[in-house]
Amino acid sequence: MYDLIQSADKIGAEYLRDESRSTGHAEYAVFAKNEEDVLNALRFANEKDLNVTVQGGRTGLAGAAVPYGGLILNLSQMDRITGMELQDGKYILYAQPGVVLLKLRKMIASRKLDTGLFDESSLGIYNRFFTDKEQFFPTDPTETSATVGGMAACNASGARSYRYGAMRRHVSSVRMFLMDGRCVNVKRGEAFANGLKASLPCTDGSSVDFTLPSYKMPEVKNASGYYAAPDMDLIDLLIGSDGTLGVIVELGLILDPLPEAVWGSACLFEREKDALSFVDKVRGEKNIASLEYFDKGALEILRQQKANGSAFASLPDVPKRIESIVYAELHCRDEEEALGSLLRIGEIAELAGGNEKDTWVARNQSDLDGLMFFRHAVPESVNMNIDKLRKTQPSLTKMGTDMSVPDDKLFDVMEMYRRDIEKTGVRSAIWGHIGNNHLHVNLLPSSTEEAGRVKEMFKEWAKSVTSMGGAVSAEHGVGKLKASFLEIMYGPEHIEEMRSLKRTFDPEWKLGCGNLFSKGEEEKA
Amino acid sequence: MNIIVCVKQVPSSNEVRLDPVRKTIIRDSSKAVANPFDVTAVEAAVQIREKHGGTVTALSMGIPATEKLLRDEIARGADKAVLLTDRVFAGADTLATSYTLAKAVNTLGGADLILCGKMATDGDTAQIGPELSAWLDVPCVTDVIEIKETDDRHIVCVRNTDAGTETVKVELPAVITVVKNLTIPRLPSIAGIRKSLDAEVRLVKAAELGADPSRIGLDGSPTQVIRTFPQEKKGEAVKIEADKAAAAVMELWEEL
Ligand SMILES: Cc1cc2nc3c(=O)[nH]c(=O)nc-3n(C[C@H](O)[C@H](O)[C@H](O)COP(=O)(O)OP(=O)(O)OC[C@H]3O[C@@H](n4cnc5c(N)ncnc54)[C@H](O)[C@@H]3O)c2cc1C
Repeated sequence: MYDLIQSADKIGAEYLRDESRSTGHAEYAVFAKNEEDVLNALRFANEKDLNVTVQGGRTGLAGAAVPYGGLILNLSQMDRITGMELQDGKYILYAQPGVVLLKLRKMIASRKLDTGLFDESSLGIYNRFFTDKEQFFPTDPTETSATVGGMAACNASGARSYRYGAMRRHVSSVRMFLMDGRCVNVKRGEAFANGLKASLPCTDGSSVDFTLPSYKMPEVKNASGYYAAPDMDLIDLLIGSDGTLGVIVELGLILDPLPEAVWGSACLFEREKDALSFVDKVRGEKNIASLEYFDKGALEILRQQKANGSAFASLPDVPKRIESIVYAELHCRDEEEALGSLLRIGEIAELAGGNEKDTWVARNQSDLDGLMFFRHAVPESVNMNIDKLRKTQPSLTKMGTDMSVPDDKLFDVMEMYRRDIEKTGVRSAIWGHIGNNHLHVNLLPSSTEEAGRVKEMFKEWAKSVTSMGGAVSAEHGVGKLKASFLEIMYGPEHIEEMRSLKRTFDPEWKLGCGNLFSKGEEEKA
Repeated sequence: MNIIVCVKQVPSSNEVRLDPVRKTIIRDSSKAVANPFDVTAVEAAVQIREKHGGTVTALSMGIPATEKLLRDEIARGADKAVLLTDRVFAGADTLATSYTLAKAVNTLGGADLILCGKMATDGDTAQIGPELSAWLDVPCVTDVIEIKETDDRHIVCVRNTDAGTETVKVELPAVITVVKNLTIPRLPSIAGIRKSLDAEVRLVKAAELGADPSRIGLDGSPTQVIRTFPQEKKGEAVKIEADKAAAAVMELWEEL
């Protein structure tokens, strides 16, 4: 029964890390292939009194999948599509948690699904899907090796969330095992809270009864702590629970019809303030699916990478005089509509101080791939930079923020970032989802002393962003690294409410230890 | 310098989708793109013009919808575009196509330099460039990976050969065919797209070329295609964990 369970030192050291570059420790590890393996792993952990850390693709940036002692439950091999449905004219793909985004995308685009687990009804839907309009899955956290389970667990978003919202909106059902082996199988629209009182039915007829936290979530892009609102659909609590409430073993993923025309346009600006004013003015344009930013620090790192040859040699040259780039992706009914939007974007860029000549437009897939590559190259290059630093100073980690603020605070928050970064004197690169006023401010400290200063600065920012009505984590989730920010954002009383909610799901406090908040008393590790 | 670049419309991906029920190829004509090798050729031409002045003309033989792709080449920096479009051109193989393109080059008053992609991603023949040079009776350099220098009367380029590379200096006019990564094509700008909207794409019919009717279209094409079918992908990648690499490789070896 436990033959899949191995000693943790038998597996690669990479399973003790995620993309945050922080490292944990564990005694055992399981690579589950099916639901039964998951149940056995949970049983084993209960018998041996072990913490359990669920892992997907370990691409998280907040250390959420980094083990906290005990057992690693890795789901990357549970990666099959189990069926299909058609609900309200939308295709639903049922996926195991380990399906990676790249594979999901390829399957949808080529319409080649592994139908080995499909029943008759799913096969019927599949035949229809095959000849129907092209579909796509809108959630796009750039890193295509993320798994759908991980994406749901931290309610991932990404560039296109500007238009399509975060992962949550595209999940129609969650099947989850609780630590005691019970199973909840919730479909959207079927289980609601009554005010803040909630009762989630389990498949064995029992239920989990709890009270939702009473905070009011900020009205910005947000992935900080449990989703909680009066009368909410309870599926939304499970999405974004950061591996602390249960193990997701299957998801219903809602596909959208692919827009006829998907175009990209990057506007290059010589001054950051022009770029910000462009963002402010262009928000009214209705066909924009994503609005992304790259500042001078980010562009400089890219230039260096490109000069070093490497995989980035094919990136387009950004002239030295350019300080900022704003990338907009257009999703339109047809090319005519896209052209209209594009020309308006050009006009707005000129109004903001830019020039239509300083733009890059992608109107076909291969050009779009080029711009996507550019977009992804920025975080990748910064990570590579950090890895290089860590060779001499292993204690350094990437220091990046994930905060969002309301629309009218964009200029203020940028001013704060610039002023404070200059004070620390640490090298920085800013990029991210500027349409949602959600920028990743990344600092590259070159000593532990500098890192200390950055840490203090981030704490101050967490306070300021909270007072602006923003969120301390807009998309990466709180994980382990941002737990202290969550406390700043919601305060100790609301954290206590979250703790007691968790205890109803996981009374022995075994799942995802260290994520979101500490146990309160002394935590075993 | 007067440069003509030959551009072909091709399907956007090499992947062929078969209808699971009817087992026929699903064609999606909305997804046509310019042959990527030709896009590189246009960029190379624009770079030469930026240094030496002159004009870059994008030339294509194709269905009327190809006009859109030619406009895109103008957005990317070409000055003009010419589309050879006529029912009688239909069914042309490379011989008839290169004949038609050669006639067009002459009708346009000739060129100092003609650039083609090394090949097109749909047919993969790599024949158009060399054939075109034969019709025009000018030198041809294929598989060019770098253009070193040009002046009014010569071009110096480096080409791939089976044995390595070769640096060649040829007299103009000449035809050269370029590899895809000769240079990185720039993306069009909004300003370029605006310009391309108003630019004229000259449409040319067979009569205007003074072409011999027996050499164009199906009649001028000795090549016969007997059957086409998608290539089946065989084999799968095997993932090997780093710490078990040696043993796994030995195992694979045995299997083979
Ligand atoms: C270069 C780069 C760019 C990125 N850009 C973005 C971005 O733009 N937007 C964005 O949102 N994210 C971004 N990310 C972060 C990352 O891709 C996402 O957070 C992703 O959703 C995590 O998926 P994963 O499978 O790697 O999860 P992991 O890192 O393995 O796990 C994340 C959390 O989910 C839990 N978990 C995983 N699977 C399950 C499951 N089946 N059941 C219960 N809990 C589970 C884990 O316990 C952990 O708490 C980026 C990452 C990188 C490296």
